[in-house]
Amino acid sequence: MNAWSLSFSEPVPYQQGLDMQRRLLAARQESRIPDTVLILQHTPVVTLGNRGRDNYLLKTEEEYRSLGIEVFHAERGGDVTFHGPGQWVLYPILFLGGNEADSHGYLNNLEEIAIRTLGDYGIHGFRREGKSGAWTDAGKVAAIGFRLKKWVSFHGMSFNVCNDLMGFGTIVPCGLVGEPVATVKTVLGDDCPSMERVRDSLLNHFSDVCNRKLERFERTGEMPAILHELISGE
Amino acid sequence: MSIPQDLFYTKTHEWVSLEDGIATIGITDFAQSQLSDLTFVELPEVGTEFDGGDEAAVVESVKAAADVYAPIAGEVVEVNEDLEDSPELINDDAFGKGWLFKIRVVDESDVDSLLDPETYEDLCPTD
Repeated sequence: MNAWSLSFSEPVPYQQGLDMQRRLLAARQESRIPDTVLILQHTPVVTLGNRGRDNYLLKTEEEYRSLGIEVFHAERGGDVTFHGPGQWVLYPILFLGGNEADSHGYLNNLEEIAIRTLGDYGIHGFRREGKSGAWTDAGKVAAIGFRLKKWVSFHGMSFNVCNDLMGFGTIVPCGLVGEPVATVKTVLGDDCPSMERVRDSLLNHFSDVCNRKLERFERTGEMPAILHELISGE
Repeated sequence: MSIPQDLFYTKTHEWVSLEDGIATIGITDFAQSQLSDLTFVELPEVGTEFDGGDEAAVVESVKAAADVYAPIAGEVVEVNEDLEDSPELINDDAFGKGWLFKIRVVDESDVDSLLDPETYEDLCPTD
């Protein structure tokens, strides 16, 4: 099955990312576009899932504002998390309701993409029973939270590469008390690969794990007219 | 994966049973298996009127949230309050104790637009 990916080199504000996803979601539900994956970094933001509880926020609204961190209640599953530059966010807009759906399940696939990506850089990534996401001995590197509307997915997974972990210090990530968050850089230090290399790893593994051949586009380059239209909202 | 033969289905993985003008609606075994362990269910209020295809409920597992649609038009007459404390009933018994809500249907012939078990089965993964 063919799919598109679109990568962004500049950090995208959360609301803008959400608006793009919603337009792509509607277009995917109407089969106007193939499955499409956005891969981007956000400007600093704390987001709460549907059931996300405010008591996992450790700062006041005012304090978040002075730190330059936005706060959003997102409509996804999962609990509170942080996004910021140096972290890739994967937003797959995939139709999961048909007979091409994978019996291992989408959640498992997202974890697999993160674990294989860690493996590309010699890091042992693993799942933990009862706790979703991808973990390393140093802590949790990938967090997952998604939503299905008419069985098309949106939201998805974040993967920490070299982001400043200060943002996670302002929340109780995923509502898990005492569980450390890590980045690829925490583990590898100065040997941390570039954001571009990690992006390519994530897309390669997405393609393998989700069994979709990717036609890759970049925000600043050529892309199909309909994709451009949906991304820019024109 | 089970697909009872006496129910109607939708492309969005709801099931419907119709008796005396009251339709009982739930999500299918395939749907619950894709979402894994459910932790929360947001049900409509009794008295809410839906058109076919309206968003009616939300089911959530630890990391996923999925919308459930009213397969046909009608007014909600009952919701499965047991799900509030035990959303896992949907995982355990999707076609029975895990039903979500009941509606008094506007037009019983609307079920003709739904899928029969055989057509529905073709939509589901083969493995």
